[in-house]
Amino acid sequence: MNVRFGVLLTPGIEAPEAVVELARTAEALGYDLVMVPDRPYEPGLLDAWTLLSWVAARTERIRLAPGVLELPLRDPAALARAAAGLDLLSAGRLELALGAGSAWDAIEAMGARRLGADQAVAALGEAIDIVRGVLDAGEPRPLRHLGEHYRIPQVQRGPLPAHRIPVWVGGHEPELLRLAGREAGGWVATLAELPPDGFAAAGKLVDEAAREAGREPAEVRRIVVVGPDADPSALRTLAAEERVDTFVISTDDAAVLRRFAADLRDLPAAVPVVVRPASVRAKRRAGIDYDSVPPSLADTAVEPGDLEYARVRSTYLRGGAPGLVLRPRTVAEVVDALAFVRAHPHLPFGVRSGGHGISGRSTNDGGIVLSVAALNSVEVLDRDRRLVRVGPGARWTDVAAALLPYGWALSSGDYGGVGVGGLATAGGVGWLAREHGLTIDHLRAVEMVLADGSVVRASERENAELFWGVRGAGGNFGVVTSFEFQVDEVGDVGFAQLVVGADDPAELLVRWGAAIEASPRDVSGQLIMGRPRPGRPHVAQLMAVVDAREPETIIERLRPLASVGPLYDQNVVLIPYAGVMANAADGYHQGQGEPVSRSGLIEHLTPEVARAAADLLAGGAVHWFQIRTVGGAVSDVPPDATAYAHRSANFSLVVMGSVERRLDAAWAGMAGHVEGLYLNFETGTGPDKVAAAFPPATLARLRELKRRYDPGTLFRDNFTVDPQEETR
Amino acid sequence: MSDYGHDLLFGAFLTPTAERPHQAVDLAVVADRAGLDLATFQDHPYQPRFHDTWTLLSYAAARTERIHLSGNVLNLPLRPPAVLARSHASLDLLSGGRIELGLGAGGFWDAIEAMGVRRLSPGESVAALEEGIEVIREIWAADKAGPVRVDGQHYRVHGAKRGPAPAHDIRIWVGAYKPRMLRLAGRAADGILPSLAYLPGGADDLAALNEHVDAGAVAAGRDPRAVRRLLNVSGRFAPTGTSFLDGPAEQWAEDLAGLALEHGVSAFILATDDAATIERYAAEVAPATRELVAAERSARS
Repeated sequence: MNVRFGVLLTPGIEAPEAVVELARTAEALGYDLVMVPDRPYEPGLLDAWTLLSWVAARTERIRLAPGVLELPLRDPAALARAAAGLDLLSAGRLELALGAGSAWDAIEAMGARRLGADQAVAALGEAIDIVRGVLDAGEPRPLRHLGEHYRIPQVQRGPLPAHRIPVWVGGHEPELLRLAGREAGGWVATLAELPPDGFAAAGKLVDEAAREAGREPAEVRRIVVVGPDADPSALRTLAAEERVDTFVISTDDAAVLRRFAADLRDLPAAVPVVVRPASVRAKRRAGIDYDSVPPSLADTAVEPGDLEYARVRSTYLRGGAPGLVLRPRTVAEVVDALAFVRAHPHLPFGVRSGGHGISGRSTNDGGIVLSVAALNSVEVLDRDRRLVRVGPGARWTDVAAALLPYGWALSSGDYGGVGVGGLATAGGVGWLAREHGLTIDHLRAVEMVLADGSVVRASERENAELFWGVRGAGGNFGVVTSFEFQVDEVGDVGFAQLVVGADDPAELLVRWGAAIEASPRDVSGQLIMGRPRPGRPHVAQLMAVVDAREPETIIERLRPLASVGPLYDQNVVLIPYAGVMANAADGYHQGQGEPVSRSGLIEHLTPEVARAAADLLAGGAVHWFQIRTVGGAVSDVPPDATAYAHRSANFSLVVMGSVERRLDAAWAGMAGHVEGLYLNFETGTGPDKVAAAFPPATLARLRELKRRYDPGTLFRDNFTVDPQEETR
Repeated sequence: MSDYGHDLLFGAFLTPTAERPHQAVDLAVVADRAGLDLATFQDHPYQPRFHDTWTLLSYAAARTERIHLSGNVLNLPLRPPAVLARSHASLDLLSGGRIELGLGAGGFWDAIEAMGVRRLSPGESVAALEEGIEVIREIWAADKAGPVRVDGQHYRVHGAKRGPAPAHDIRIWVGAYKPRMLRLAGRAADGILPSLAYLPGGADDLAALNEHVDAGAVAAGRDPRAVRRLLNVSGRFAPTGTSFLDGPAEQWAEDLAGLALEHGVSAFILATDDAATIERYAAEVAPATRELVAAERSARS
């Protein structure tokens, strides 16, 4: 690791644009950090936080830090929120440097209370606790701080910043140095304010305090502000002998920046900075060799003690506590990640795209999660053939929005927050299914990283058998890093949401099923029912997409659906497919517990099937009952063309309950009426579920593929096909 | 019937959601390109789902070129006035004079108190706001002799240096509903900025609001026209008109022109987080409203 370089600007009010330009010059010269002094009492200078926010918007890569903030004039809780926001806006580029207050006359003149030196350091210590507490948004309880200097009865935490914002302490007073050693992620010293040889003595105090607090001295970065005339050889000595890892040049002269950049480029740091302090490492899980995380992934990996853990631990419906989340940004990093996973064969291992899935396992307890969220590009490859390439981490709402300007769409499930990877390796039952088939039916090629780390392309021409397996059982064979789809021309569609009475659910199901099967293929949709509640009319929600532009056609298509029961409410809009898919929630997943669902594919909603379904609902073990339409174009594809083989079904049923045992007991009555299941709606695990998902001939082919591509079952937690077991 | 003769301003009232960190910035850029006059942001520092409004506003100012920006309205109890004055002046300098100051006395006292700030009675908060405005104006008055000295009940600034002076005359717009606050706005502010949705009697209440503001202005020896009447509104574009700001753009223009001519409202800030609505508001509603108001004003004169 090299020493970092920064620039400390003097933000005079006379030429604000020149200040901003210098920050941009520093960025262009490869500087790592721009610092802005905070002297809110000094009318000749721009306000530090305002300028920093402005510079964030005008730069792309360089890190940003106030240097150092005059804490007596800032409210720590408000500061923490502002810091989180700036970190989010700048994509994780903020570092915070706090000071106990220096110019007390001026601070007092601004209306703040004067504190003695020790008191001021104590107040700073409290402020650090408050700042860190507010930033720790993963902690569900509000922050309460009743200290000597700050009394905060109860403040909500958050927002969660984009990264663990380092909190540094700036100054030279002994008490402050001890605070830096005990608490801070860095110590900011100004060389000109220290006596000759003063640095070593001050640094010793910091180190001692760190050791007393049970920390490694290397956990405290050393950031030193130097003047424009600093001697490069002196800086080399400070780096080598005093562990200084960041030099900040105080200058307003671009020529000075250029000179330092030329003189000191690639100056090695004496010791690697400890990225994760002891308090974070203390939360590590057993059995994971954290220190051997490949360097390419170390920066973006998230472990339980990290602030960002709240953002990545859980999925849409499932609470989780993985021991490590790897977040590759490139195919090469996926290769690195899988090498790390291979070294941990005993751990749970989940691959996550959007983290929406209820089946498979894209989070776990104490294991590894490989998140491909960063591989989220959407690009058009061939306009004439409507060929697009999509990363597995893109969400379907983003894909739909990207295709909208071309007048294209790709049928892809019904919820925009779902990730591409998990859906496009299993099936994809969407709003255009009857007209355009499953999502996998549009797949023309994939690029994937296999269990052994090799990168292959699979299509009808290359690795054709693997390509067959990816389309329905892809999670068994590797991590797909890009999908190539041929998409459809789709204009505005009619999107209907109807509420109909369901006092006789069986009757309703029969009528709805018949109406759907009699509908042209431009109609796809779904039916949702909850459990009947005493004293309230039982209703079903019907949703449908009609791929037609003319209102008359849409009305004509909807009429049979609207008359399957007494119509209580209706809402029909003509919107782009992307509008239908713009239904994803903001924010990160905060699922709790463990969802329980069962999936079954159904050919026709006969009176017998409908009776069984109504009994299932009436039993009370099911709180969510949803039937999506398949059939149509889905059934045009021969069963042996893809690993998704149950092509004759017209309907895909999913039910959810709270207690697995109860749900299974209730499901027993339904089981005889379904033919196979769709993996993505099934939370059950084990060979029987795999056997229900894949007919015997399909399963035999999959075993053969598994033996060839993943004989050691690296991909083990998402409906694993056992390579050895013979087909029953 | 009152019309204070101001030129009309059209703006957007944006939610500073932190969950999509760039949403509000992107919408401010849309408003800027669409030609709106103002991009404004709510300020609820106790609400962790929102950005810190000042940080967001500074960032958005750097990403826009022409549009003016302001808080709508900034929470004074959680933002010390001397710092507020300097930060506004700084951003005004950086942005070439595009910053205005929407200021409120604090609405949600339970949440404010939970952040560690003493609860003020309604009367106290009016007094605090008046002192805050004085501190802010004194800091901005860079050319006045001597340091700032405000010896208030709520804010004491003894000897702080003056300056920097902002790049332009930053307008102070106060979120005001009740008589005391309205009279204060008449005395000390450059505008009032209420939300139509918070007026129990709807637009009819504006007449009474104006009376209090006018009285406050006159009592302080000011021309009531020195105080702009801004208004946060919400609405929906629909093919056929059903009610106030629910219908086609032409109907919106008539509704807003009515408010301008009837109640002297001269800035209409639309609460929306939808880019298409912002574009339509700028392209269709703003020019049509201006036209209607100009025609009626020339007919009257």
